[in-house]
Amino acid sequence: MKRKPKRKELGFITQVEMSKPKTKLVYWFMFAILMVISLCMIVPALWILVSGFKDTEEFLRVPPTLVPQSFHPEKIKYVWEKFDYVLYFKNTFVLAAGTILFTIVLNGLAGYVLSRLKPRGSRAVFTMIVLLMMIPGTVSMVPLYMTICDFPYLHFSMLNSYTALWIMAGANCFNILIFKSFFDSLPKAYIEAAQIDGYNNLQIFYKIIIPLSVPVIMTISILTFNASWGDFLFPYLILTDKKMYTISIFLFRNKSGSYPIDIYMIMLTLSILPPAIIFVFLQKHIIGGMTLGGIKE
Amino acid sequence: MKTKVQGTAGLKQYGKRGSMMLFRDAGAWLLLLPTIIIIYFFTVRPIIIGLWYSMHEMQGFTPKMFVGFENYKRVLADTQFLKTLMNTVLYVVWSFVIGFVPPILTAILLNEMIHCSGWFKFSIYFPTIVPTVAATMLWYYMYLPDSSGLLNTVLLKLGAEPQGWLQNSVLTIPLIVIMSTWKGCGSTMILYLAALQGVNQELYEAAIIDGAGFTKRIIHITMPQIMGITILNAVRQIINVFQIMTEPLTMTGGGPDGASMSMALWGYKSAFIEFNTGTSLAIGAITFAILIVLTMFYFYAESKVD
Repeated sequence: MKRKPKRKELGFITQVEMSKPKTKLVYWFMFAILMVISLCMIVPALWILVSGFKDTEEFLRVPPTLVPQSFHPEKIKYVWEKFDYVLYFKNTFVLAAGTILFTIVLNGLAGYVLSRLKPRGSRAVFTMIVLLMMIPGTVSMVPLYMTICDFPYLHFSMLNSYTALWIMAGANCFNILIFKSFFDSLPKAYIEAAQIDGYNNLQIFYKIIIPLSVPVIMTISILTFNASWGDFLFPYLILTDKKMYTISIFLFRNKSGSYPIDIYMIMLTLSILPPAIIFVFLQKHIIGGMTLGGIKE
Repeated sequence: MKTKVQGTAGLKQYGKRGSMMLFRDAGAWLLLLPTIIIIYFFTVRPIIIGLWYSMHEMQGFTPKMFVGFENYKRVLADTQFLKTLMNTVLYVVWSFVIGFVPPILTAILLNEMIHCSGWFKFSIYFPTIVPTVAATMLWYYMYLPDSSGLLNTVLLKLGAEPQGWLQNSVLTIPLIVIMSTWKGCGSTMILYLAALQGVNQELYEAAIIDGAGFTKRIIHITMPQIMGITILNAVRQIINVFQIMTEPLTMTGGGPDGASMSMALWGYKSAFIEFNTGTSLAIGAITFAILIVLTMFYFYAESKVD
């Protein structure tokens, strides 16, 4: 992992200037702006969190309370048991896990081939991937749905199964390019040293490339988990069986007024919880990882 | 040991090496094959048959008859067309008015912070991890027209009249854009932050010697250094916002009275709610054509930047 540079090696205010009162004023002014921005970002999420835990009487009070006076954490248990959250969580985890697996194996492999092995003609594949990344998906929504309903030539359906969603992760051109540029940035010296030591390509891959790729694999896994956890359109189109619902489909299908707002708030809070926990613990891999060598898209 | 083919020793074994290369190439292509097959069936082929079927009369999801540009004519003659296209352009315009500066500003400020930079990164990136449907519903409840919405709560506290928010057809697009700015700001900011960390510190030191103040440093050093990524993000933003769909679908369903309907949402509704697949494909193809032009501009911009 690339360490965060020690402060004031970067930025337009230099270390020396920081002792001047005028600079300090500018600095704290900037700090204040940033604080306002960060509060704007966090308050909406905080608001659903606290207002869901109010009791119903307080929730409906006019004028409403900004700072809650009642706190009922037991409502979370009520919601968890009333709805089949275990199932929705399990489904979404299964969807995300498979997507991560396909992403890492297929996109990683493709990135490796394009970066290191470079068979003759692979340059064309690379160009195609770069082009496809920019091609809009507007015209392919319906045909993609048709492909999933009735796969061309083989005529089988992938409706109500996660297979199609997993497989589609293999076509993620963006991740392929991230992997490629990461492998491009690996120092050649390691590989040359291994070749001199008599390692073959397979050994180089297992003993050199994979251990070195742990950071990029971590970052892409987490980003894929978040994307997959929140994925909506195609899961919604494909998974019509209630037993297959992911958390987003469940939220969407119950959105308009079927439940009291405070209960819906708790439903929202629960859906944010898993990615939020992962984010809190693995934040470094996301934010550090995106600035990692070469990943600037 | 015989795998060591180095320098001139390798040239003598040219024939053997050639066949090894061929073998190696075949192996490499084999590793690439699953990806190519998936990309063909799930990306390339849908685009091609989408464009082809858009010229067919569709019955459900099966093409019946080649009709040329009939579907297109129907879409272009629809009274909804111009309004929806204008709405989509409005989404893009508002996304620039509201959403373009915040990531740049936050990145520049954050790059200077010694205090609480961990907290800032956490709080600004946090909305990015909220699932789209949860984020849209969260804001839907913030914009709730009765007194329980957060914005109306604040207005009531200040003694003002509660507003209709999303139900006000003038406000609905900017309000949806505010929501997506909230959600997207963090990940864009990270890109700018990465670019800022690549700025050569010596440039600033040279500027200080020349007596340049903070503003001058930002205008003459910081901004030109991140200009490349700024242009790329701008073009990418146009392309992405032009395809906006889930946000209006969950927040307003395209309402009130079509005021927040976007091209992509129209395409979705034609196919999966009204089952006019042909219409949907024609809408998709028209959006596709517009976006291809914009994408070509993107590549032009990118080649200029590089």
